[in-house]
Amino acid sequence: MAIIEVNHVTKEYRLGALHGLKQTLHDTLARLRGEPVRERPLFKALDDVDFKVEEGEVLGIIGHNGAGKSTLLKMLANISVPTRGSVKVHGKVAPLIEVGAGLVGDLTGRENIFLNGAILGIPKAEIKKKFDEIVAFSELEEFIDTPIKRYSSGMSVRLGFAIATSVKSDILIVDEVLAVGDLAFQRKCFDRMEDLIKRQGRTVLLVSHNIRQVERLCSRVILFNKGQAISDGNANAVCTQFYEASDTQISTGNSTNLNSANSNEWATGEILLRGIEILDAEGNPISKLRHEQAVKIQLNFEVTKEIRVPIFGIGIHTTDFIYLATQHSINQLKLDHLEAGHHVLTFDIPSFPFMPGVYSLRAGVAEGSGARTIFYAENLLHLQVVSDNAEDRTWNEGLVSLSGIWSCTPPLLDFNEKTHVGP
Amino acid sequence: MLAAIKDLYDYRELMAALAWKNMAVRYKQAYLGLAWTVLKPLMLVLIFSLVKSFVGIDSGDIPYPILTFAALMPWIFFQEAASEGVSSVVGNANLIRKIYFPREILPLTSVVTKLVELGINFLILAGLMVYYHMSPTIYLLWVPLIIAYTILAVLCISMVGAAMNVYYRDVATALPVAFSLLMYASPVIYPLTLVKEKLLVNQAAGEWSNFLYTVYTLNPLAGIIDAFQHVVLRGIPPDISSMWPGMVLVIILLPISYVIFKRAESYFADVI
Repeated sequence: MAIIEVNHVTKEYRLGALHGLKQTLHDTLARLRGEPVRERPLFKALDDVDFKVEEGEVLGIIGHNGAGKSTLLKMLANISVPTRGSVKVHGKVAPLIEVGAGLVGDLTGRENIFLNGAILGIPKAEIKKKFDEIVAFSELEEFIDTPIKRYSSGMSVRLGFAIATSVKSDILIVDEVLAVGDLAFQRKCFDRMEDLIKRQGRTVLLVSHNIRQVERLCSRVILFNKGQAISDGNANAVCTQFYEASDTQISTGNSTNLNSANSNEWATGEILLRGIEILDAEGNPISKLRHEQAVKIQLNFEVTKEIRVPIFGIGIHTTDFIYLATQHSINQLKLDHLEAGHHVLTFDIPSFPFMPGVYSLRAGVAEGSGARTIFYAENLLHLQVVSDNAEDRTWNEGLVSLSGIWSCTPPLLDFNEKTHVGP
Repeated sequence: MLAAIKDLYDYRELMAALAWKNMAVRYKQAYLGLAWTVLKPLMLVLIFSLVKSFVGIDSGDIPYPILTFAALMPWIFFQEAASEGVSSVVGNANLIRKIYFPREILPLTSVVTKLVELGINFLILAGLMVYYHMSPTIYLLWVPLIIAYTILAVLCISMVGAAMNVYYRDVATALPVAFSLLMYASPVIYPLTLVKEKLLVNQAAGEWSNFLYTVYTLNPLAGIIDAFQHVVLRGIPPDISSMWPGMVLVIILLPISYVIFKRAESYFADVI
């Protein structure tokens, strides 16, 4: 039996602010005179959303900001009601919509555990039983009798998370809570979530912008866009669809950041970057490239003053600035000097190694044996890598393809002899 | 209605925790702490006694200070429980937006909080009674019923008020003004016997007198304060003739207030 039923749910909000007395009087007069009144326009936060969740299912909900994810969770948590349609939830819901909601600054950590527990519907006897566990998990032993207004923000969030996850419930609703605390604590939260989901077999609804996390935890994913559930199914397939949609959005949004503030450009003025282009093997400019395609990156430099022993560098990074690969010209281009004028620098990549996604380029120029940086810029150009094969992404997880050669031996007579397994 | 009561029973721990929070937060960083609960009525008694010495109010055979204190106890309970109830929903907006629980818990919690403070004031009342050599009578058993009736009167205001306050914050702003008017329209500074004498015995307003008295007692507080003074200080049962108009009003208003609150409840999170 379905534990959650969402039947053709639509939620509308009125845009703009509530009218004051003056506006209301004005509108009433206008209505009496039979003149048209400007109504506040409606906004559909959810538009005819319809799905069911079976018991034990781990459902991920993804989508851009404002796609309706949080509105949906509010309906499921019974905080808000749909304008049309109905939501049926069979079982106790524990919403982790914003951990730490209801923590009171003037009360101590100890007092807050009992108060917040009561707010979340945990019986007092049970909180007493779990008290030590909550304190230990939040790592607040020393501070438990201090008012939480003296806590750091990370400390109170830790406390909130520890309390919220000790609620016994049939359905757990999680909205973006794992992005809390420092790295070590995030790891701990993630482990606790995985424990709740995988070992305790609870029904979970997870809303997150961390698609990798959703992909890892969920068996099924629904993709929302502008209030509609546009895709529903296998986690991998839906996440891939979402990636591709966001990739297109990023790369069409701003393809070249040359000379813009986005590129973090830093230059002494001795050399200026005039243009940057991606070319295919035939030398035609391209905007999208395929995985393992042969491409050339062409940089157009204007040198204003002779540069002695120039060293060029080119690198590729993700849109969140993780540097993936860099190549210097130091061992290949042994230039003694570069005279003033226009120069075209080409970097030839025989097989582009990165998996489908959006990447960005960075480039730098240094001078002399001391490698004095005279030009550096990143986020210069977005590269969208696409794949012809839809399966590609699901089969090859990661950012870079690991090239290598597989082989398999014929059946062995003595297992221990050939492989180094066992004592 | 039954389901609503069961719901409340299920959430009794939450109510207790929230009431305790209200008290704790108010008194935690206050040097005088809980003493404020009794300081407020005592100050008012002092002021009223001063005023009384100028204008002269006939308090019968009961000393004026204890008579007003006995009037202020239900009055302050009513006024504070109602005004705190009205702002309780908006005041807990962070909970409303994030967590589900029956929303009527909030105005009810305000009542529970004030009930505790009322209990503390009973200690002072007992002290005053010892001071004035007054002994309690069997009619003291009426007190829980009178307080229960006061709670119903509080909820008439606080539920509909809390719901309206979510949409129009004017409600919480206007309330103190309304309450200070209501205090003069209730037998707090003067005893009800004075009004009764003027209107029913002396027929001060001519043929309108009886009607005016009924209008005056439509205010549930008139009956409540008088009954409280009767059973605690005078040692006689409550005077139902001064209570029934208020009771009829409460019986009519309470369901309306509750229904309005429940209707609006689903939209609190959207509007607040």
